[in-house]
Amino acid sequence: MSEAVGLVDFIKLERIVEEAIRSGAEYAEVRYHRVDGLSLFFLNGVLFGAYQPLVSGVAIRVVYSGGLGFSSTSDLTSEGLRDALSRAIASARSSSFMVKNKVVMGAASLGYAKYSVLERKLLVDMPVEDKINSLVEKLKSIDFKRDPMRISSYTLSYNENIEYKMLVTSDGAVIESRVPRVSLFYNISASSGERRANRWNMLAASGGFEVVDKVKLEEEINDDLNSLYTSLVKAQSPPRGRMDVVLGPEIVGLAMHESVGHPSEADRVLGREAAQAGLSYRREYREPQFGSELVTVIDDPTIPGSYGFYLYDDEGVPARRRFLINKGRLEELLHNRETAAVFNVESNASARATDYRSEPIVRMANTYMAPGDYTFEELIEDVREGVYIRKYMEWNIDDYRWNARYVGLEAYIIKDGRLGDPVRDVVLEITTKEFFSNIDAIGRDLEFSAGTCGKGEPSQPMPVWMGGPHIRLRGVRL
Amino acid sequence: MIDPQVLAETASRKLSNLVDEYVVNANIVSSVMVKYADGEVTVTQSWKDYILDVYVSKNSKINTSTYTTHDPIEVLSKLPSLIEKLTASPLYTPLPEPTGSPLSIIDSRLKDSSLSGDISGLLGSIDVKSYGNVAGMIEISYSRSHYIGSNGLDSGFEITEFNGYFRVFRGDDSGQWAWVSTFYDESLARGALDKASSLAELCSSLPKENIETGYYRVLLSPMVSGNLLESVARFSTAGSVILGFSFLQGKKAGDIIASEKLTLREVPRNNRLPNYRGFDDEGVATMDKPIIERGVFKGFLHNSKTAKLMNEKTTGNAGWILPRIFNLEVEPGDIRESELLEALGDGLYATNNWYTRFQNFLEGTFSTVTRDALLIVKRGKPIACSRRARLAGSLPEMLSSIEDLSRERWQIKWWEVRAPIILPHMLIKKITVTSTTL
Repeated sequence: MSEAVGLVDFIKLERIVEEAIRSGAEYAEVRYHRVDGLSLFFLNGVLFGAYQPLVSGVAIRVVYSGGLGFSSTSDLTSEGLRDALSRAIASARSSSFMVKNKVVMGAASLGYAKYSVLERKLLVDMPVEDKINSLVEKLKSIDFKRDPMRISSYTLSYNENIEYKMLVTSDGAVIESRVPRVSLFYNISASSGERRANRWNMLAASGGFEVVDKVKLEEEINDDLNSLYTSLVKAQSPPRGRMDVVLGPEIVGLAMHESVGHPSEADRVLGREAAQAGLSYRREYREPQFGSELVTVIDDPTIPGSYGFYLYDDEGVPARRRFLINKGRLEELLHNRETAAVFNVESNASARATDYRSEPIVRMANTYMAPGDYTFEELIEDVREGVYIRKYMEWNIDDYRWNARYVGLEAYIIKDGRLGDPVRDVVLEITTKEFFSNIDAIGRDLEFSAGTCGKGEPSQPMPVWMGGPHIRLRGVRL
Repeated sequence: MIDPQVLAETASRKLSNLVDEYVVNANIVSSVMVKYADGEVTVTQSWKDYILDVYVSKNSKINTSTYTTHDPIEVLSKLPSLIEKLTASPLYTPLPEPTGSPLSIIDSRLKDSSLSGDISGLLGSIDVKSYGNVAGMIEISYSRSHYIGSNGLDSGFEITEFNGYFRVFRGDDSGQWAWVSTFYDESLARGALDKASSLAELCSSLPKENIETGYYRVLLSPMVSGNLLESVARFSTAGSVILGFSFLQGKKAGDIIASEKLTLREVPRNNRLPNYRGFDDEGVATMDKPIIERGVFKGFLHNSKTAKLMNEKTTGNAGWILPRIFNLEVEPGDIRESELLEALGDGLYATNNWYTRFQNFLEGTFSTVTRDALLIVKRGKPIACSRRARLAGSLPEMLSSIEDLSRERWQIKWWEVRAPIILPHMLIKKITVTSTTL
């Protein structure tokens, strides 16, 4: 698995850790982190450009007199690495003068391990022209015609990256990992008469080029063309008022990420992200029974093939499933070793860093609502008056993760247990508490969507999956 | 430290016989960031990166690369074999003649501290702790770039930057403010702390009310209007239009798209803002120009590729594949900042926002969530404070609904305003505000 990384090996990383401890650091962590990428951009089915990023270097994090310091460098010469270490120690030392609560990295069972995600179609071996041809053929096979809807343009970007890491910590973690990922992002702009709309979507997983087949690009684009057609050509204004709402897995997955995952990040709860991504209702919410006991929400980095897959986090802690809500009760927070020490628990392996320039911070991986036992037909059969929202086109949430908004792209009236006419621009604005309290039935299906989660300063985009089944909410306001 | 000019020259030699055209940009960036939460430092971070950006074309095929790695020259050798395998780009056009000259702006205090990673002397006088429960960050940076291109471009420049933001809490209430500059000026950091603190204290002193859903007159602080006008500027790049992400699709220069009170300019030559640039990525001279002038759309921002595609001229905004924005500026209005609430009369003063999302890029419909102090104002006086509500509407309607702007302007850049911008407060006649629960 070892990459040709030239000047860096585990011995060299261990020497930096030793030097940091000799210099007085209580804790040191050194990570070589390399991300090789390739992006191909298509406009209306034609390749219009390619982009090849390579981001590689060494990240050093130390705790010195209770202060936390981080540095990074792409200069892998001995001089460059020495300079990076001295900057990390100087940073930690200057931080230490301005802290009330000393930083401690909590104890954890640390890994001494090596793992990789296998590719059926190796990204590095497959000629780029084969990748281009495969994508062009897939786009050619799609019938974009949906009269009277007109497509003004469609774009597709194919992105692959291979993330390779070597991690050494002063308390014994040694981890080597290689995770390849592929994502496809497309946008379709359409109009019908005076109405215009666009639909963007991201499909992604870990693995090799086989991901392009696995995510069913053609089926997804066809389905989105149908959604646009329904919204632009057939849909009418939505009903307003209190009624039952059935939500599709795409919206449920997003809600789990935004309304459960983010507020369960322990660094947010502690206020570490207060000036950026905000705070969390879990700072103040004390009643453990948070919502319907039907609801269980899990974050699991270990799902094979997932976009947010990893087996050890960037502090060397072995990954496992985290129950954020269990039968309606608020349970675990997501922790790295620093926040775990504050809460006097053990880290549950949530430390992730985007690249060598990034400090590991608390992140989600694959967040989803566990499925129930209803079929879709059973979910709608006793709805007298309601709306089924299948896909969204806009969302946001406040910085306490309490008031969310979802605007439907494809939605239908439900009348007397049957799906009726399509409606457009359905707006669901709802508090997190109301969302979880009003769920009375959960589907037996489970679908995941891919996303790039944003957090951190500087911003650290992070691959994640978000998932859920169809669910039914009783008596909510549209 | 590797000299960027030497790195660019080495890369240039490597590419010169292998591709038809190329531009390389060797860039060294040193920066230090101190992050705060609850009035104390949570982490100090120090970066030193060598970045080689590369554009190549061969037989109308185009490829760009970014190498942030120890030996970018070694990796560069893979590029020619990659480009052979691409197909001709419909965006391809030959690189233009370089017309720009370099512009640099350096504050030696920022340069020295960024390079050494030692900021204790520089930031020691900014007493964040005395403001109580404060979260935020301060960042200083120094970058040096050198461009060499097959079109004759051979030029380098240096820039320093000082930026940051603070969110000050008073109990459950908060205020937030930001700054950006090419010079170190501790009064900018103190000013942001004072402003954030005064908003938090004002909100804390007022009764709390939920906002009823409805139409409101709204005063937008530069934090909020910066976020929304940055979106307008990005939608004015030809790339957004071509890719189907712009409500300006179908517009042409001369169309009225905003109130006559609004003049939004793209200002790469403003040396107070850190994307100060004498030439763009293709070597074309940058120029300060209006995007919207007294409400009239002045045209899309282009590089040579999008200009050719849309039969227009480059505006000096390259981006090698698609155009970009550098710095932004909004012309001031007539209202003194001290008279803003009086001018608002009855309405809301939104001091900060986040999470702006577009329901429909082509129609410009959006919503954004307010955060920090949201003041409810009656007859020019703040009578209550809320914290969260949602502004929802369309950019075309909001632009047309600008009633006036303040005389005083602020230099803003933060998490939700990525392009550095100088701008005033903005008074909007009517926008939908939806209620959220405190």
